[in-house]
Amino acid sequence: MINTKTAISALWITLTCFVCFGTFVLKNRVHELETELTRLNTGIQNDVKAIHVLKAEWSHLNSPARLRQLAEEHISLSKARPEQIINLSALPFNHEEGGVESASQNQDLGNYKRLVKAER
Amino acid sequence: MRAMVVCRQRMFFAILGFLLIYAVLIFRVFDLCLADGLKLPSLDDEAVQKHANAVMPIARADIVDRNGTVLATSLPTVNLYANPKNVRHPEEVAEQLTLLFPEIGYDELLAKLTRPKTSFSLIKYNLSPAQQSAVNNLGIPALEFQNSEKRVYPHNNLFSHVLGYTNIDNLGLAGLEKSMHKRLTESTKPLELTIDLGIQDTIREELLKAVKKFKAEGATAILLDVNTGGVIAMVSVPDFNPNQNIPVGDRSLFNFATQGVYEAGSVFKTFNTALGLESGKVKVSDKFDATKPIKIQGLTVSDFKGENRWLSVGEILIYSSNIGSAQLVSRVGREAQRKFLQNMGFSEPLSKFEISEKARPLFLSEKRWRDDTMATVSYGYGISVTPLHLISAFAALMNGGIYRYPHILKNADVPAPRRVISEKTSVAMRPLLRDVVLYGSAKKANIEGYPVAGKTGTANKLVNGHYVEKKVMTSFISAFPFENPQYALLVVMDEPKGSKETWGYVTSGWNAAPTGGNIIKEIAPQLNIPAEFDLESQRKHIQKTAHIR
Repeated sequence: MINTKTAISALWITLTCFVCFGTFVLKNRVHELETELTRLNTGIQNDVKAIHVLKAEWSHLNSPARLRQLAEEHISLSKARPEQIINLSALPFNHEEGGVESASQNQDLGNYKRLVKAER
Repeated sequence: MRAMVVCRQRMFFAILGFLLIYAVLIFRVFDLCLADGLKLPSLDDEAVQKHANAVMPIARADIVDRNGTVLATSLPTVNLYANPKNVRHPEEVAEQLTLLFPEIGYDELLAKLTRPKTSFSLIKYNLSPAQQSAVNNLGIPALEFQNSEKRVYPHNNLFSHVLGYTNIDNLGLAGLEKSMHKRLTESTKPLELTIDLGIQDTIREELLKAVKKFKAEGATAILLDVNTGGVIAMVSVPDFNPNQNIPVGDRSLFNFATQGVYEAGSVFKTFNTALGLESGKVKVSDKFDATKPIKIQGLTVSDFKGENRWLSVGEILIYSSNIGSAQLVSRVGREAQRKFLQNMGFSEPLSKFEISEKARPLFLSEKRWRDDTMATVSYGYGISVTPLHLISAFAALMNGGIYRYPHILKNADVPAPRRVISEKTSVAMRPLLRDVVLYGSAKKANIEGYPVAGKTGTANKLVNGHYVEKKVMTSFISAFPFENPQYALLVVMDEPKGSKETWGYVTSGWNAAPTGGNIIKEIAPQLNIPAEFDLESQRKHIQKTAHIR
């Protein structure tokens, strides 16, 4: 009888000890994680801020006025003019043989004119 | 036996005592460990805010163009303030700060540092990171920082009238910053516009060139997508830099495009012709007597460069005949004319347009709209509207007859589109206006590759109630490509001057029209409009320019 009582008491005491220890460990771990979370949040916050500033800087550096000035200084390209844009089908086919002029005397003339017409 | 009972009782109390002690201990342990977790989290709780703070650290939303490029943004900065109660040697601190901020001055700094009865005395707004670190290096505990943000416009002058500006406390004072202040502060999601950065820049460059060349007082240009009503570009010059101190009472603050109420002159003949065709009382093949000036209620209507013959509807536009226009509208009548122009949106301010600066057009009442008014309005006098009114109505003439309310926000809250003229009239208008560019007053806007349809207009300015001969407002209104218009462009110049190159002329065909042509030539490739060349002209052009390259 006494043995059973002692055993039950011992069990409860052990359980209580385990629960106490477990709770402390848990609490500790949560503390650690919270610190980590705060650290990460601060990091994200700083990164978001930095990205925001970089975006503004990117927009500033990409401003057309600046790009135009740089292009004029460093590359010898100019803006495309409308007359430089032409459709493939409007090109003469025997360009290598003698250029545009001879195309009109060529027997392919009919074919070529039809294509140009279709293009219009 | 009695001793046994006493012993048991004592044992019972002892055990009870121990149990109580244990209970208290266990309760305390649980309380310490779990108390935080048992509480229900509330949103005001600092701990909870800590969990949710990975959000935008900037309070005022960005404004971006239709491609997402930043046009206005806020940068995190700090404000420097002092707690005068903690300043031990104000003279010494003021001296040190004077070295860092010479623009404030020693006396002012000293006054700020010794301000009585306060623990907050603001010294300087928006410190740069370098300045902040310099102040930190002074190691003065009474100086403290306050987080703040500063509005910046990476493209300086380019969007001054569209975006407006804010004051130092980030309160919107003009433009979209003012009208959209609530939206910009309520949500950090960027505010998307229909504006295109590249197009806006190209148009501004061309406009500045033109203003310089023709020594104009100012100019404006608006590019509208005729199928949506979205403003792709809106430029007024002179303009200002919203990143710097805002000029006070200066012309540069004036948004010509939305506030510039003016008499547009002959560009109104396009609306007059559309009115005639729409009424069914005028056919494209009809001819009108423009042989001599006509008199209406004491008003003499004459032509600037009279052809002095009968003109067809198309020729009235090509030669910009006032007589022909007045003859044409007389068939339709003044009530129908007034109603038509009202329907085109000319009688009311464009109050739903998002930019805060707007103006009310001058539109005569029905009683004052007499027969002479009918005649003058037919060629654009006696009615004053803003450039934005003009281009929105013109877009309706070109896009198949549907008036779409102009807007500048991508998700705009504007009245629904409505039909104002039939598709037939709209289609008939296009070749008439194409002929103006090919054979009429807008020849200088005829550019190779992009068929433009348009109309010029030159109106004398009213100065002290009198029309002044040499002071004019010139306009060029156009749409392209003319067979299926996608974009409408309006260029207005204020007081352009004549030069040797223009033979002294100040009319629109010599300044606004070529400027419009140049703009379209530059922006059409950017807008992905295919150039239309027939091979013949292409070949001629190559031969013509071969020696140049």
